[in-house]
Amino acid sequence: MAFVVTQLEKYLIENQARFYRLAYSYLQNREEALDAVQTAVCRALEGRGGLRSAEMMRSWFNRILINICLDMLRQKKRVVTVAPEDLTVGSYEDPLPADETLINRINALSLEEQTIIKLRFFEDLSLKEISEITNVNLNTVKTRLYGALKKLRISMEGEII
Amino acid sequence: MNELKKARAEYEAVPVPEELANIVQASIQQGKKNYWQKRLKQGFAVAAACLVLTFGVLNLSPTAAAIAADIPILSGLFQILTVRDFQKQEDGIDYQVSVPEVKAEGALAQQVNAAIQEQVDAHLARAVQDWQDYREAFFATGGTEEEWADREMNVVVDYEIKSQTDTSVSFVVSLAEGWVAAHEERYYYNLDLAQNQNITLQMLLGDDWVQICNDAIQREIAASVDEQGFSMFFPADEGGFVSVDENTAFYISADGTPVVTFPKYAIAAGAAGLPEFPIVVD
Repeated sequence: MAFVVTQLEKYLIENQARFYRLAYSYLQNREEALDAVQTAVCRALEGRGGLRSAEMMRSWFNRILINICLDMLRQKKRVVTVAPEDLTVGSYEDPLPADETLINRINALSLEEQTIIKLRFFEDLSLKEISEITNVNLNTVKTRLYGALKKLRISMEGEII
Repeated sequence: MNELKKARAEYEAVPVPEELANIVQASIQQGKKNYWQKRLKQGFAVAAACLVLTFGVLNLSPTAAAIAADIPILSGLFQILTVRDFQKQEDGIDYQVSVPEVKAEGALAQQVNAAIQEQVDAHLARAVQDWQDYREAFFATGGTEEEWADREMNVVVDYEIKSQTDTSVSFVVSLAEGWVAAHEERYYYNLDLAQNQNITLQMLLGDDWVQICNDAIQREIAASVDEQGFSMFFPADEGGFVSVDENTAFYISADGTPVVTFPKYAIAAGAAGLPEFPIVVD
């Protein structure tokens, strides 16, 4: 047990910047992202009995973190305040305008799709890990990923996935 | 694909706030504390009953103690027994205490036991004092009885046997205190019970032990520097690592490798925890 705690602590400390960025990508707010990381780290150590093996650590912790971010978004009831001057023409015409940067188009996807894209391409997680994190079966993850890529108008060459 | 790379770069360019490291550290401590509190609440009644029983039986009957000691770990020249084992709550302090004792012939075991006893007593006394000081400061700055009732402190004494042979043992006693800030001390013991002496790094590594250790540690520190040139370890001229000496703590891992350890903050930022360096000889 002590061994697991040490490993978990090490993992959390070493990857803290990644956790912050992932949380920030959902919440788009510095304080809220810090809050999410804080809650997730605390909850992870508190509930470390749920961690069955060191190999599962990455997907186990990301699942906790993402669930917290999604909860926070739900709490905000997805009301996002944007100052009028920040509204681009595209933001009220087309949810996925082609001329937006890709990162903005990704953030305009559904939360399920966003999560898959971010974890796969920004966090380098395998589809199997994503399936564990999102609690969705592997084939559904694949289908959603292809759907999301299509919406983003990205074509992938070969079997990159 | 290029667009994805660009998006990833943008994603990774989000600046990370400076306070993140502190927040993560604090959350780790808080999470650990919550974990123990939860376990304590769940298992308190059962654990208390079991402990009283075990403790009582071990103390009453030498045979029972011998049998109990044989089961977990050791036989031969010596045994390591838990001599004080209790969990209790008193004046807002949660205690989780397991104190080891070395049972063996000779003066070394007695010395070690006396040293452990002293460390544990000092730790418990300091914890009570710290808590008392905090309490006074709390009320002096306008805290109410009601708010105080929510506060708790954890005091943990525990030990871990790192390795053992028929005649030697390496173990660590850790003394921790957790409330607003967490504080932990570790004492390492490496005993040769056949020769009745402490095992030293010199015995394990030979006369060049200082050089061997320093080389291994410097190598690890150099390897810890990331692409941006950042390392958790302090530079040598800013309180960082200079050299090992007779007082440098270490334990012996299961494969016989000596592992040199440093207290938190001694040579690195707090986020590095308690740095450990296995000294592998080619």
